[in-house]
Amino acid sequence: MDAFNNLMYGFGIALEPINIAYVFAGVFAGTIIGMLPGLGPISALALMIPITFAMEPSSGLILMAGVYYGAIFGGSTSSILLNAPGVAGTVATSFDGYPMAKKGLAGKALAIAAYSSFVGGTVSVIFLMLVAPLLSKVAVSFGPSEYFALMVLGLTAVVSLSDKSLIKGLIAAVVGVIISIVGIDMQTGTERFTFGSVQLLDGIDFLVVALGIFALAEVFYMLLRGGGGKEAPRNAIGSLKLTRSEVKEIAGPVGRSSVLGFFTGVLPGAGATIGSFLGYSMEKRIAKDGDTFGQGNIKGVAAPEAANNAACTGSFVPLLTLGVPGSGTTAVLLGALLVMGVNPGPMMLTERPDVFWGVVASMYIGNIFLLVLNLPLIPLIAKILDLPKPLLLSLILIFCMIGVYGMSFSVFDLLLLLGFGLVGLGMRLFGFPAAPLILALILGNIMEESLRRALQISGGDWMTFIDKPISLGLLVVALLSLGLPLLKKRRKKIPPDVAV
Amino acid sequence: MTSLTLKRLSVFALPIAAFAGMSTAAQAQEWTPERSIEFVAPANPGGGWDTLVRTMSRVIQQEELADESFAAINVPGGGGAVAWAQVARDSGNPHKLFATSPPMILVPLAGASRYDHTDFTPVARINTDYSIILVAADSEYQNLEDLLNALKEDPSLSVGGGSAPGSMDHIAIAGLASAAGMEASAVNYIPFSGGGDAMTNLMGGHIEAVVGGAGEAVGQLGEGSQLRALGVSSEERLGGGLSEVPTYQEQGFDYTFDIWRGVMGAPDMPEEAVAYYEDLFAEMLETDAWREASDQLGWIDAYQNSEEFGAFLDQQQEQFSDVLSELGLLRQ
Repeated sequence: MDAFNNLMYGFGIALEPINIAYVFAGVFAGTIIGMLPGLGPISALALMIPITFAMEPSSGLILMAGVYYGAIFGGSTSSILLNAPGVAGTVATSFDGYPMAKKGLAGKALAIAAYSSFVGGTVSVIFLMLVAPLLSKVAVSFGPSEYFALMVLGLTAVVSLSDKSLIKGLIAAVVGVIISIVGIDMQTGTERFTFGSVQLLDGIDFLVVALGIFALAEVFYMLLRGGGGKEAPRNAIGSLKLTRSEVKEIAGPVGRSSVLGFFTGVLPGAGATIGSFLGYSMEKRIAKDGDTFGQGNIKGVAAPEAANNAACTGSFVPLLTLGVPGSGTTAVLLGALLVMGVNPGPMMLTERPDVFWGVVASMYIGNIFLLVLNLPLIPLIAKILDLPKPLLLSLILIFCMIGVYGMSFSVFDLLLLLGFGLVGLGMRLFGFPAAPLILALILGNIMEESLRRALQISGGDWMTFIDKPISLGLLVVALLSLGLPLLKKRRKKIPPDVAV
Repeated sequence: MTSLTLKRLSVFALPIAAFAGMSTAAQAQEWTPERSIEFVAPANPGGGWDTLVRTMSRVIQQEELADESFAAINVPGGGGAVAWAQVARDSGNPHKLFATSPPMILVPLAGASRYDHTDFTPVARINTDYSIILVAADSEYQNLEDLLNALKEDPSLSVGGGSAPGSMDHIAIAGLASAAGMEASAVNYIPFSGGGDAMTNLMGGHIEAVVGGAGEAVGQLGEGSQLRALGVSSEERLGGGLSEVPTYQEQGFDYTFDIWRGVMGAPDMPEEAVAYYEDLFAEMLETDAWREASDQLGWIDAYQNSEEFGAFLDQQQEQFSDVLSELGLLRQ
């Protein structure tokens, strides 16, 4: 009952007219920011700090949180329509969302993304409200050994993401790990694969690779295949309506991914991107029709969308209960709170309950706004597919370039984008799957850092991964999830694929 | 005809002469910016440099201290090296400034930047933060001596920090160890991806202690906290939430460490421009808006003019290169 009273108190704050206006402004701005590749929530929030400076802290955080989860909500749009992820958290959405759009089901894909995001967002706010104070223990229980085990578990998804040839999937994953290593090594300060270039010292930004390998490669591929007379007409948006059986089909994935996503988000450093990948690969493994994932399966859109929004809410747990940022975006929020005169820390929940409960309550309202805002927009936004192909392709090209340039103001990054576009094209032509590369790129760096940190703490003793129950448990699950599909494949006695 | 021409000429010549005279006079005494000033944060939005740049720009604008605006520009990359390479090309430009702090010394010493502080014009030191050592609230270490003795006995005990080896947090703890009679390289320093990350790991009991910025840690201390501070690197006790935390010197370790922040400009910036900025920043430090912002961010004013700041930077370089060579991380 305590939570209920607190929530009512929170709604009292969130429902003040000015705060309703802020929630709306936040989620609206977030949706737009999310749709545009490049301009992510981090830079948008940093630019907003001067605006929120004079605001009441609860209002300021309500506004900024709205931008954050609004961006994750809106990011799916460009993933689905253009194969160009708007924010890192929505890369996995493009795996099935874009094939759906190609089949003329863009409307349905966008609607599923919106509903799943809404459910993921709302379910996770309930969790945030009920268990946040307890979860702060979970958040700190993950040290380097546990993170390493979690990343190993995440990487086993390579097996399920390599649809045709496991060897090619593994090769792509190794390339992904290598790209993730570029830059100054955090543990020793040594430069790796920078070839003396100052621009590579900070590594290669994830979005540059993702936009290159997905969006740009798609543009090149379409150009290469000429006008594309054979392809199904792209101008069909299709219906937004879901049939009853479709709702039934995605209910399970959305529910599971919401919970999984939330707990992933709670862990500092994991966040929406990893959450959406975990959700996607879990559903692909569970589903009976798992092999149709990647070809426009509606569950492949529902799962990552529920997971990334849930993870976004989850990342507020360490921020609001411990005062430590769980992600780059919440680090900026932490800075903003400091500027507004709130000391984010363990005492915030008791000292400034208005901030915590006001934000929690505003998230319910924000998620409803997002749904109401996004659904009517779908037919309008999806009209972009009606554009003649030459125009659409040039639009994607410009979109990606502006996005990348806007991130770093570096021409070098534009060349990298172009390079990864060509790499992506080569991968498509020779049948290498792109998803394992992206997954390995996300996980590789954290996995390596946690491995070395863990060993440095344990004095080089590898038993540290076995001695800790959480890390042992995660490694066992990883082993199982790696072994079972291979066994299944062997039992089916599929003839080895000779050429793809 | 002639008179007309002359008249015409004078109509043109007079203002030109006046203009020329004015500008030479201005150069001799008072230079003022002719266009908006590019104020570079050599990092992504959200970090320490970015906060300094944006706060200064805002206060200067809010208090109407300058006629031209300060435009905050982020040039991330290479721990500052990308921005430095860019500013270094702009020799003599009086409209280009950047925020700076110990990495300006440390990154070049580690061999990761072609340019070092001597390539740029020191403008002013603005403020400072200090280093702090934290342990878990229920830790057996009651003071700095307990912790350092334990580290001496068991060098595998891990001390986490928020930055790479050879950067600020590592130097701060290595220098302290050295002052306590240990080998600087004997500390098992574990680099995390940020101060928050390191503190989370301390709360979870994965490491023994954390070295970090006092301003960043202050929110984590106080009643009901899971963390406890053993000491700060300042010469005198700090105020506010940190007034209970003793300094290293109080506990018998003769060592101080400043996380200073300041402003530098393009190479060979004209003296008049430097003088203008020195005065402007000194004036800014006196405003209420600045006072308020610094209090919230936990900054402590530590103004130095261009000359003092330049000498200070040279001295810092000497000090840091000693510690780095003890750690075997000097690459210059």
